[in-house]
Amino acid sequence: METRMQQMRDGRNRENEACEECGILPASAPLATPFVPFQRNNPRTYPAKQGVVRGTLFPGLDLPYMGMVNEGSLSQTHLHELQTLAFALTELGEYLDTHADDRDAFALFRSYAELYQKGREAYEKMHGPLTQRAAAMDDKYRWLKDPWPWEYAANKEEG
Amino acid sequence: MFVYEKKLQYPVKIKNCNPKLASIIISQYGGPDGELGASLRYLSQRYSMPYPELKGLLTDIGTEELGHLEMVGTIVHQLTRKLTDEQRKADGFAQYFVDHTQSVYPQAASGTPWSAAMMQVKGDPITDLAEDMGADATTAKEQPHFQKARKPLI
Repeated sequence: METRMQQMRDGRNRENEACEECGILPASAPLATPFVPFQRNNPRTYPAKQGVVRGTLFPGLDLPYMGMVNEGSLSQTHLHELQTLAFALTELGEYLDTHADDRDAFALFRSYAELYQKGREAYEKMHGPLTQRAAAMDDKYRWLKDPWPWEYAANKEEG
Repeated sequence: MFVYEKKLQYPVKIKNCNPKLASIIISQYGGPDGELGASLRYLSQRYSMPYPELKGLLTDIGTEELGHLEMVGTIVHQLTRKLTDEQRKADGFAQYFVDHTQSVYPQAASGTPWSAAMMQVKGDPITDLAEDMGADATTAKEQPHFQKARKPLI
């Protein structure tokens, strides 16, 4: 006589022998219920300032690690402002890649891009060119100006 | 074409050196689930992706991952930028230091150098997206693993 274990190993069970959709799992295995919450058009967004510290611009995609929410904020410097706006643009850009027809999101994308451009000008005036090509707009070559982004000094609060 | 912007995606400002922590965080740079692998996975999968949405998404996320790579490299750099002789010999860091000194080398915490064998680019959209989802889920898993290794991480 077959034992229960043997039936399970063979991928059968007495009750469901005729039932093809049961596959080869043991009877004790429930059907899985996977779901992916697709982002819909015009999703709610955090203000850029909040999004950059939460790690996402979209509350609907925000899943804090072990419930620990980063409530902090970046201090107001030219660099932080630029990083904040660039983050919002990256997030919106990736969203638009799969939601190109969302006009509201596109309008927001445009308004952040405009702010970014202004922020970039203010930043470059004070700290030097952000890209090598921008160095050409200057009266002398300042691309090599220290500090570089990975250096501690580049991430200090002031400025 | 890629253009470098001379700024981090998010500020990294670490005052106190901690070589032991750096020897664990290096895995997020060049380990199997690190940012280098993430970036190359996405950027390499683009060529055979048939849909415009996904060509764009792989390009943009792959590019963003390079920015993440730079932040992780920055974390390792700042954790090891000023070391005493004692700290250079510290458990967990001496083995790294002997080969790479205070530089940032793409390797796993185990010392295994980064390898393309850690990722897959198949040319089939479903296979590649499944690879991406698997890889992304491991990134989410890194956090609790790091947390166990030494806390607090951040």
